[in-house]
Formats: sequence, C-alpha cells, structure tokens
Amino acid sequence: MSWFSFSWQNFWFSYLALAFEGLPFVLVGAVVSGIIAAFVPSRMITRFLPKNHLLANLMSGLLGLIFPVCECGIVPVVRRLLDKGLPFSCGVTYMLASPIVNPLVIISTYAAFRGQAPEWNTAIRLLSGYFVAVLVGLCVIKLNPARVLRSGSGRAALRKRSVLSIALLPEATPDNTSATFIQRLIAAIQLASEDFIDTAIYFMIGAAVAAVFNTAVDQKVILPLASNLVLSTASMMGFSAILTLCSTSDAFIAATFVSFPVAARMAFLVFGPVFDLKLFFLYSVLFRKRFVVLLGIGLFVLIGIISAFVLPHLYARLGG
Amino acid sequence: MRVWAAKFLNGITLLGLGGVLISFCLKGRIDQYLHPQFRPWVLIGGIAFCVAGTVYLMAKKSMDCCLDGECVHTNRQNPWRAATAFGVIVLPLAMGTFLSKDGYDKQAVLNRGFVQDVSKLPGRKISGSPNSQQVIPPGALGADQDERASAPEPPLPQDTSSGAPPKALAKASEPPQTGGNADDGSEQYLPRAPDGNVALEVTDLLYGENEESLRKEFTGKTIEVIGQYLPGSKPNEFKIVRMLIVCCAADARPIAVPVQAQKTVSVADMSWVKVIGTAEFQESGGGKAKVTFKAAEIEPTDPPQDAMLY
Repeated sequence: MSWFSFSWQNFWFSYLALAFEGLPFVLVGAVVSGIIAAFVPSRMITRFLPKNHLLANLMSGLLGLIFPVCECGIVPVVRRLLDKGLPFSCGVTYMLASPIVNPLVIISTYAAFRGQAPEWNTAIRLLSGYFVAVLVGLCVIKLNPARVLRSGSGRAALRKRSVLSIALLPEATPDNTSATFIQRLIAAIQLASEDFIDTAIYFMIGAAVAAVFNTAVDQKVILPLASNLVLSTASMMGFSAILTLCSTSDAFIAATFVSFPVAARMAFLVFGPVFDLKLFFLYSVLFRKRFVVLLGIGLFVLIGIISAFVLPHLYARLGG
Repeated sequence: MRVWAAKFLNGITLLGLGGVLISFCLKGRIDQYLHPQFRPWVLIGGIAFCVAGTVYLMAKKSMDCCLDGECVHTNRQNPWRAATAFGVIVLPLAMGTFLSKDGYDKQAVLNRGFVQDVSKLPGRKISGSPNSQQVIPPGALGADQDERASAPEPPLPQDTSSGAPPKALAKASEPPQTGGNADDGSEQYLPRAPDGNVALEVTDLLYGENEESLRKEFTGKTIEVIGQYLPGSKPNEFKIVRMLIVCCAADARPIAVPVQAQKTVSVADMSWVKVIGTAEFQESGGGKAKVTFKAAEIEPTDPPQDAMLY
C-alpha cells in the first residue's frame, strides 16, 4: 500500500511526544477531580445551578471558566461531578463545553489566529462550542441516565432523573464529614491517582492510534478534499478526530491548514475537543458504547451543518 | 490480597510513569519531543506522579472515594485491571524510552509532505534557544525594540500572507535613517558561522521567497545551512530538511529547501549535513520567488542543539 507505510521509529517518536504532551493535562484533570471529591460538598455543586432546565444547562456550559479542564481530563471530573450530584444533562453540557469554553483555550486560540482576525475566530469558536454543548445537553434531558451511563458511573445521576432532585441526596458518607484536612489531602491524591489511571489507559490507546495515522498514512491522499466546503468541513472534522490534539493547543495546528476554508478549520476546532479517537475511548469510561457512538454521530452532523452552512454566511458578513 | 496487589500495581504504575518523564527531562531527550513551553510540565508531572505513587503506596485508605461506599474505581480492587493499566500506560513508555531514536525517518517526512511556502508555516518562533546562532535577529528585520526585547519573535507568516508586508519586514526594506546603504545597515545583523559564512536556517531562506528585502540580503553571500539530507530526483539534487514543531513532535511538519550540488552526493538519508553555498531566487510573480540553494560544499555534521525548529 503506497498510502500506508508503518515504521516503528516514527511510531515511537510520535507516540511518546503525544504522551508527554497530553499526560500532564490528564493529570490536571484528575487532580481537579480529586480535589472536588475530597473537598467540595455535594450541595455546593448544585447550589448555584438554577432549577430551570434551560438555565441550568446554560450555566453548566460556563462551568469550564471556573473548572478549566481540557478534554483529556474532563471525563474524571464529570464522573466525579455526577457522583456529587450534578444532573446528567448538565454533566453532558459541561463535558462538551469545558474543553472549548475555558480560559486556556481562549488564550491559545487568540494567539494561534494572530493576523487572521483572532477576536472573531476566538469568539466564533467559543460560541459554537457553547451552543453545541448546551443543545446536546438539552437533548439528553429526557434520557434515562441508567440507559446511557455505564454501571458504577455517576450513580447519583442514575437514582433520580429530575434535574436538581439530586441535591436531596446525603451530602457525604460519614467518614467523609469527619475527615481532617490532611486526611482529605491524602484522599484527594489517592482519588486523583485512581481517576488518572482510569483515564490514562484510554488516552494512551488513543495516542497510539493517532501516532500510527500521523506517521504511517501519506497525508497527500487527504489534501484534495480541501477544495469543496462540505467535503473540507467533513474532512477537517475527520482530521481532528484522528489527530486527537489537545484543545489547548489544537488552534495552532488548525491555523496552519491555510488551504482549507476558515469555516472548515472552525469545524476542526469545535469537533476535535468534543469528540476524537481518544475521547471515544475516554467517554467509554463513563457511557455505554452505543451512546458514545450516537453522541459522535450527532456531534459530527450538528457541527458539520453549523460549519458548512451557517459559519460561511457569518464570515461573509464579517468581511471574509 | 487482591486489594493489596491492585494497590501495589497502581502505585508502581504511577512511579514508573513519573520515572520515565523525569528521565526524559534529566537526559535532555524531552527537547526533541516538545515545544519549550510544554517541557516544564513534563518535569512537574513526573515529580507529581512520583509523589502520588509514593502516597498511594504508603498511605492507608483515608476516606471513601464515592458515595455510599460503592466505589466505581475498579482499579482499586481488581489486580487484573491494575495490571492492564500498568501494561497500557507504563510498559509502552518504558519500551519507547529504549527503542525510540528521538527522531523521524525519511518515510514520515515523505508522508507528511514538505512545506515550502512560508505562508503555510505556523506563527511561531524560528528558534527558542538563546544559544542558537542560526536565526536572523529581529533587529535585522527592523523589529520594534520596545516589544518583548528580551524574547523577540520573527514576523508571523499570517502577517506575511495578509497582503501587506509585515511591519518588521517593511521596516527592513526602508532606507536607513542615517548615511550608508541598506546593505551596510543590515549586514551586521546577519548571523555568522565561525568560518565567517552567513549562518541561516531553512526557514530564513523560505522567508526570503516572500520578501524581496531578504532576497537582496542573501543573494551573492556565502551561506551555511544545517539540516537533514533527503535525496532528490537526480543524483546531484537533494533537500535540506528541518522539522518545525508547534506543540510536540506529533505535529512536526517538514520544511525543506531544494539544493543543487556540483556533483553526485552520497550521504545517508536523514543524516545531518552542513551545506555551504549560495541562495538563488527565481522570480515567480507577485513579488515572490522560489529559492534553490547552490551547494559548493557538503559535509556531515552533528545535529544542532535544537534539532527541531519552533
């Protein structure tokens, strides 16, 4: 096969690079998760969320500004928040929004698009990501979490389907309430360690697949797709899914695909953080496989429509 | 026993991971893999993993991790799951530590395709190393002295492709304020190799394709370029290749300048060479040109301190 030529030397180099770049971010997510588990009372999570479904989801989409976690670390955080009583739909909204609506991504996107209308591209990325996350969150409000969550994940969410009724659950187990600061600190480290290991398994599998694609596949076979808006949008989303880049750094890659329309590059920047190869495996920690597949297809169609049919008009109004 | 075995394996996983990360940092190998901005996090992460692994192994379970005492963390009780985690996370990294050659071979470069148009380069520093002598100082291009004087950046390709010349480059093409000609004013900024040749990077030559003032600076001078050798279609033609990193080596993109030698070249693929010669720019319209490096001398050399460009 002329388009596929595998080499162990290339694989190891790319694989290790992805691991070194991504694992610290996975760790950050796990640490946030551990701190939430050990120090944040259940009621605090839900106290500030409005009781109205729509408003609660709108607020959840902004949680990333407070808990800025990229997609590598988001799954353990969401699992923890679901355990702490965050409603399922709000958890989904936060999970999808946080990798885009967070301060690190705002800064990196603005920097990467310097010279290419950075303020507009950053704003469009944020708003698109936020809109998609909230919309998907609202779509799953009526879903029974028991049918989509893996057994053992977010048991609190399994118990009640009502949006905020979870706040009525006991705040913590007895030894939780009596723990000293040191005990909580050690617990946070232990819990973060376990969350990290759970998540890192899937991250490493995703990194291995991405390393094979990055080094063994002839990139020239995919370049002709750039000339058609729909094809370029779909192919850019496909790239982002396969490349499995971190949302805090993917804008630097997207900005270099200058042969692709900016709307297609935006599809890359919105779809990649919410669904890619490693996330397929990571989401599988939390959700059943069937839901993960349907989520991926839904996000692909939704973001594809927005990017191929809405954003070009918006960019035209903004002057290209 | 099962809990103890799982705990032991999880602790070893964390310690092993930390050990690999710290080892790459201490040996300096991490420089080949990551952009400088990401490197400190690897060391911090390595230390954090070691601390976490130690605490995990030493400390007793201090509180329940999940509600109602029903734990979702199967690693905690299942030694097989913990062994899988060890096998998936640590073993490949440990194998990679010994098997990785810290660089790509020819096939990866060919698969990724060359970037020969400077406007397709991401807006990053040409080199982040203060020791690098092969970068045109922004001062040579007239960069603002009051803007990040300690760590100036070269003109961004996005700026270059926007139609108007970048401010820095535009200033370079302006006549000097005081006497002398433009060559006299900018010559002093061109970096020099120990033997007196102008020492440039592949990126510098590619910037020259889009900027006439740089072409004037480079033309007629004896230039020295270091890069990796990749054979061309004819025995006396080849490319000097450098890899440009945006975040990590996984996104590295090959950038190349075509070279014409006076005779047949026999060098191992992807080995490091120092090429001395002159740059010839052939106008291609729209104020742009295509560069070809005419090599007078080609010799093997050691990789530069920063093998990657950023």
